[in-house]
Order: sequence, then C-alpha cells, then structure tokens
Amino acid sequence: MKRQHPILLLLAAALLACPAMYGQFAATGTTTLSVTVGAEAALQVTTGTTTLAAAGTIFNPYLGTTNLVYKIRTTKSTGTGTITLKVTSDFSPAGGPSVATPPTAGDALTYTCTVAAPGTGCSGSITSSTAASTSVATFGAGASSANAGNAASTGWTLSNDPVYQTGAYSGVVTYTISAT
Amino acid sequence: MIPISTRAWRFPIASLCLPVCLSAATGTATQTLSAQINAIGKLSVPSTLNVTNSGTTFVAYRGNLAVSYRIRTTASTGSGTVTVRATSDFTPAGGPSIGAGTLTYTCSGATLGTACSGPLTLSTASQTSVLTVGAGVCTGGGGSCSTNDPNTVQTSFTLADNPAYGTGTYSAVLTFTISAL
Repeated sequence: MKRQHPILLLLAAALLACPAMYGQFAATGTTTLSVTVGAEAALQVTTGTTTLAAAGTIFNPYLGTTNLVYKIRTTKSTGTGTITLKVTSDFSPAGGPSVATPPTAGDALTYTCTVAAPGTGCSGSITSSTAASTSVATFGAGASSANAGNAASTGWTLSNDPVYQTGAYSGVVTYTISAT
Repeated sequence: MIPISTRAWRFPIASLCLPVCLSAATGTATQTLSAQINAIGKLSVPSTLNVTNSGTTFVAYRGNLAVSYRIRTTASTGSGTVTVRATSDFTPAGGPSIGAGTLTYTCSGATLGTACSGPLTLSTASQTSVLTVGAGVCTGGGGSCSTNDPNTVQTSFTLADNPAYGTGTYSAVLTFTISAL
C-alpha cells in the first residue's frame, strides 16, 4: 500500500474536523462577531452664541457662560483626555477688546470651568489666548461619560476698559476634546 | 506436433470466447427506482464578522454578513426560515452586551424568500428572523426553482457605541439556523 504523506493526512483530518474551514453547509452556522473599542471623545457646544454683558456698577466686567456636553472614553490603565479652548478669532471690529493685543495692560478675557465627573475642571481663572490652547478639563485612565454625554461649562469674564469704543464686538472660541 | 509453447495458449483463447457465447442469450429486466424527496435546508456563514466605526466619534459600529443557504420546502404546505440568536454574549465583561439590546440588524437582498424587515434587536434568549420562504421553493436547478445556487441574504449589524464600554476587543457568537418543512 502506498504510504501517504503525513502532512496530507493532517490536512485531511483538519478539514473533516472543522467544517468552517471550508464553508460547509449545515443546518446551523456560527459567526464570531468581534468589535474593538478604542478611545474616543466628542463634544457639542450647546450655547450657540455666548453674550457677554455687564451688570450693576459701571465698568464692571462683562460676564457670560458657554455650555457644552462632552462624551469621552479613555484607554484603561494608560489613557488620558483633555478639553481645551482657544480663541481662534479675536474680537472684531478693531477698537474694542482684544485677546491678542489688549489696549491696556491687564485687560483680558478669562474663564473658569465647571465640569461634571469624570472630568476635572480647570483650576482658578485662566486667561484665554489666541496663540495657544488652554485647559478646560482633564480626564484620567479608564474614564467614560454617560451615553447621553456629561455637562461642562466655561464662565467668561471680559475686562470693561473705558478705552473700548462703543459697539458690538465678536470673537470665536474653539473647544477641542481628545482622548487616548 | 504442436510445440509446447503454442499449446499453452489454447485454453486462454477458449476462455475469452465464453462470454461471447453467453451474450447470445439476452433478456430484459425492469427495476423500479423510487426516492423520497424531503424538505431540507442548509446554510453557511463566514466564521468571523468584525464590526467597525470610523470617522465621526461615537457613531455605531457596523458590519455586513452574507448568509448562504440551500433550501427545499414541501409543495403547497411547506415553509422555511432562517433565524439568528446570540449563543454567546460579548466577552470579556466591561464592553457591549447583546442582552442589553445594543445589537440590531437588518436583512436585504434575499435571492429566494423574503428577508426580514428590520431593524430587529438580536437576542441571547430567542431566535429572531432573518428570512422566510414559502411552500414549494427550491434552490438551484432553474425551472420552478431558484436559478441561484446557493441563495444568499445580506445581514447588516449595528452595535451602539456607548462611552461606558471599556476599551478593548470583545467577541460574541451568533448562531444562524435554517429549517424547512
């Protein structure tokens, strides 16, 4: 009798033992469904336009609040996350307040942060910038928000300098969230 | 005198002639062949399906799976179904859960029968429909049967992307079952 090659015999045995290898038709079939869940983050600014307004005593600063909702998932053990903001368009038209070039030293657009867990809000009052992003919140490893998102907000304070010419001025602030 | 070598061939030659002589006495016989053709169904699915998301964050994970099947149902009274059930929920813990109703699917493009109208929520407890076929249908062969062989139906799975899922890779097992009457 002709002797069969051992590898051929092994292959034949494997095919007989494992129908899935060759897509055999049967009364039932199974599929292993797999998903790889990675770090993700997203946010939505829910205050379309934040109006800064002064109240009470004259030359009080202009105040306002911007609300947002964030969703985040950071990697177990090693992940981190941040929410930052940057003034991506300074106040215009000219003649009013300015983040990049304040008309008077000490004039500034500052903010404080309120962030629901698992985020940690920025500490104290932070001066916003057109040159660099500044912190709103930080997240640790394995952080996850609610499926509907969690709330955060920034409370704005804009100096009220008498040198500002009367009129309406607007700028653009961009929020960025990231997760690893 | 015949040489010994020639004499040795006589018997074999005579033997070869014998069947020719017998074939002259031919006859006929009939044999009735019968076959019981029963309803039957078989299917095949890919061994793995990866659902993925890309682009916008926190959009659902999606993936498509083609179910191939061959089926024959009884004329007039028969029917057939393809169903699916999650026979093993996602593991390890900390990720999505089929039991929580996060995995849905739709069906389309059945080449024989009617695909499910979804979206349907996949269950670990009970079978849910993928396909139904009526009486007297069959796969392949043309004529009154489907010209496709095998037949196929497309399934599209959608898994919700919840921030609460821990990062990592999770797997579940789906079992498809075909039946024919």
